[in-house]
Amino acid sequence: MLLQLNNIFKWVQQGGQRVFLLKDINLQVEEGEFISIMGPSGSGKSTLLNVIGMLDDFDEGEYSFLDDPIHQLKEKHRAKLYKEYIGFVFQSYHLIDELTVYENLEMPLLYKKHSGAERKAMVADMLDRFNIVGKKDLFPAQLSGGQQQIVGVARALITKPKLILADEPTGNLNSTQGEEIMQLFKQLNDEGVTIIQVTHSEKNAAYGKRIINLLDGRMV
Amino acid sequence: MFKNYLKIAWRNLLKNKGYSAINIGGLALGMAVTLIIGLWVNDELSYNDYFSKKDRISQVFQSQTFNGNTSTGPAIPRPLEMGLRNGYMDNFKHLVMSSWNNPLYLNYKEKSLSKTGNFMQEEAPELLDLKILKGEKNGLRKINSIMLSESVANALFGDEDPIGKVVKANSQYDMEVTAIYEDIPMNNSFHDLEFIMPWEKYLTVFEWIKNAEDQWGNNSFQMFVELADNTTTDQVTASIKDVKKNLNKETAEFNPQLFLFPMKDWYLRDSFENGKQVGGRIKYVWLFGIIGAFVLLLACINFMNLSTARSEKRAKEVGIRKSIGSHRNQLIYQFLSESFLVVLFAFGIALFIVLLSLDGFNDLARKEITFPWSNSFFWLISFLFVLFTSLLAGSYPALYLSSFKPVDVLKGTMTTGKYAGLPRKILVVLQFTVSVAFIIGTVIVMQQINYAKNRPVGYDKEGLIQIPTMSQDFQGKYDLMRREFLESGAAIEMSASSSPTTQIWSNRSGFNWEGKPDGFQEDLAWTEVTPEYAKSLNLKILDGRDFSREFATDSSAILINESAVKHMGLTDPVGKYLRDDDTEDPNPPLKIIGVVQDMIASSPYEPVKQGIYAYDKEGNVSFYNLRLNPDNSASENITTIEGVFQSHFPDIPFQYDFVDAEYGEKFAAEERIGTLSAIFTALAILISCLGLFGLTSFVAEQRQKEIGVRKVLGASVFNVWNMLSKDFLKLVAISCFIAVPISYYVMNGWLQDYPYRVILEWWIFVLAVIGALAITILTVSFQAIKAANSNPIKSLRME
Repeated sequence: MLLQLNNIFKWVQQGGQRVFLLKDINLQVEEGEFISIMGPSGSGKSTLLNVIGMLDDFDEGEYSFLDDPIHQLKEKHRAKLYKEYIGFVFQSYHLIDELTVYENLEMPLLYKKHSGAERKAMVADMLDRFNIVGKKDLFPAQLSGGQQQIVGVARALITKPKLILADEPTGNLNSTQGEEIMQLFKQLNDEGVTIIQVTHSEKNAAYGKRIINLLDGRMV
Repeated sequence: MFKNYLKIAWRNLLKNKGYSAINIGGLALGMAVTLIIGLWVNDELSYNDYFSKKDRISQVFQSQTFNGNTSTGPAIPRPLEMGLRNGYMDNFKHLVMSSWNNPLYLNYKEKSLSKTGNFMQEEAPELLDLKILKGEKNGLRKINSIMLSESVANALFGDEDPIGKVVKANSQYDMEVTAIYEDIPMNNSFHDLEFIMPWEKYLTVFEWIKNAEDQWGNNSFQMFVELADNTTTDQVTASIKDVKKNLNKETAEFNPQLFLFPMKDWYLRDSFENGKQVGGRIKYVWLFGIIGAFVLLLACINFMNLSTARSEKRAKEVGIRKSIGSHRNQLIYQFLSESFLVVLFAFGIALFIVLLSLDGFNDLARKEITFPWSNSFFWLISFLFVLFTSLLAGSYPALYLSSFKPVDVLKGTMTTGKYAGLPRKILVVLQFTVSVAFIIGTVIVMQQINYAKNRPVGYDKEGLIQIPTMSQDFQGKYDLMRREFLESGAAIEMSASSSPTTQIWSNRSGFNWEGKPDGFQEDLAWTEVTPEYAKSLNLKILDGRDFSREFATDSSAILINESAVKHMGLTDPVGKYLRDDDTEDPNPPLKIIGVVQDMIASSPYEPVKQGIYAYDKEGNVSFYNLRLNPDNSASENITTIEGVFQSHFPDIPFQYDFVDAEYGEKFAAEERIGTLSAIFTALAILISCLGLFGLTSFVAEQRQKEIGVRKVLGASVFNVWNMLSKDFLKLVAISCFIAVPISYYVMNGWLQDYPYRVILEWWIFVLAVIGALAITILTVSFQAIKAANSNPIKSLRME
């Protein structure tokens, strides 16, 4: 088992009342799964994804990741865990504008203390795999949205994570580009990478092997 | 990793050229000021470092009390030497009696130079550890020997070997050159020690010096000592402090206290008040040190404000990096290395600025500071300085930026709440508080200088020159010279005096007069003058009459000044007699024949000292005072006077000083401080305004959409300008509120050092506040008006 959420609650105080963002979420994810989270706006999809990605806290419940109890860990340990095992793909790509494609891909490796030669090889590998060798010296602003997202995915993959978390990865893309990204995800999943994606589109959700529906913070 | 950080930093710098220029420019200016001040402070603190025994050398000082006022100085009587040599020598390794630094004429063949030097005892070269270039270190053994500094030797002898040659001093004494020593550099107490002659010679030069051998009341000499190995200044002071008091009963009533004044204090801590050491130049070291620190702080505040203001632009990067796996520490490290890069850049520019301005600064500050290229210690300090500055400027932004939560940032929900700008506001207030305080301080310093400058001096100092005549050559020549000068038409009046008009060289006490209160210890300035003194200076006689050559009895007549009348408590001074306390005194009593107006002879910041002008009987005058003929130009007059002078004294170099220039010297220290602080204030304001300028442009950019909406809804340019400027004006107003009382307090304290001082008036403060507000409005308006005039369609369409 990759991760398990038990009775997860998350709320904010608003005018003296608790407004629940997540309510009693129970979820088990096995390695190799491809899960799509669906639901209307404000239903808590992204919040759930952020909680799984340990970017966000929760208020109650238990969360274990690879048998580590996340709710008991300190910030530092959590960072270490997600650094090691989780890759993020964002709707608006979130590449660093001041870095070239090559440097953007290299960045996660810098935080993991790979040697220079290793980094070179790994980045070259990714550039090759995603067919973007010719773009390696361009800055994000010089790429189309689809190309930026491909770089985004490549960046998420370069540290060889067990889990990819994607928050509406095709939200800013046209249908052809979106198709391309989803094919990419499917292929990665076939190679054994666990993927959890948030999406609005039924069509994209269908790439997943399992669909979770959220409504008002609750799994339905 | 570091390379990656630098890359990002570099590209950010290039991307925002305006911000980078303000950031780096401001920092460079600030660092340049700090560097220059640092070099200056170092120069001040390293004064006397030339002397290897700096920590072991002392001068014997003496405090005496007259009428409850204790005065302290280096002048000691001759018999003290024997007093200390008999029984106290285990305290000292060396003991050296010395004259004051005196000018002398040195002749060799046809060359004639006026140089200054001392008569000192044999161990002086050992005590000062002079670097002997030629000849013997022990060069003062023979009574007719002279040691010369390298530059004097070069000037006199050129390529010839000076050792063994004979130099004529004051065209009287044949002195054999025994040694050449390295010139003593400028920032040392003995930098004007251009020659040394034996003390024994000094004793033969003037009768009064020989006579002083057992005069305990004649404090006219100096004594330098080197401590013995096993003792300290304080220990020796404790053992010798009462030596004079115990050995001489007559002067004991003044409670003479001897103490050792260590060389390390000579330059920076030479002020004494009522017998206690109260600082000195060290206060300026502190003053400029503080100014330097503040200017650097101002520049760092710019960096902090601009970096945090632009935080939203960097927030995304922080979010991405955190979600990719960066620790907060790593981000802090990244932002710090970024500030290091900026500071390093700024330091490079600052070095350049320092190089360009060092000469000008040296002129202003009267220094000979050279840039310490080859000093590895300097570079180490510089590196630490860069590191420190980048920490000071970069730590707050680093902590602030790295604290963003990735979820908030990436979702785009991050809001810089109501108080996010508060630290920035506080920093702006701090900046302008410093700037306003600097403005007020500088204005008050300038005012005080002008106030003292405009003080009536009591005589006419324009068109008056003085010629030093401290040599036997001039003895008995006064009447002749006066006739010659007047006949030449270059001078309309001339007198001679025993001290320059702008200084008091001698003080006397021990008089008796009718109605003198019991136990009153008078302290009177003593100047011997020729009868034409008052006339040549245009000094007003307020009561009685001037000296006259008609009356033979005038040889024992005196003039006293107004302050002396008050000091001695005389009601009808003219016709009264002053008698010497000493009953064996063969001289007739001194008759007061007139009262002259007070004239400023010492500090223009202090009350005029009570003084006596006595008829010069011996012809031992030290200066000729010539009133130039106003019908000719000054240079014509000087040429004529030089011609007359040289025809009578062909071996003596002609030297003269304009009295008004000499008088102006009294303001030199304050003027230097005034000019320097004016420059530093201007720079401080410039740096603060740079920061304000950057902040306004940031705010204008941030509120671009709001401005667009407001304009569409009908806001005028003035409305928008008002909206943007108001906030900053408020901050500067708060700064003024803080700065005014602080500067009032500090400057009031500074003025207490000057008995004659300007009164702090409210309008100075109002003026400074108005100035600060005006500068703010100007700075802010440029950006505000630009923003207000922008086309709203453009800013709104961007969304």
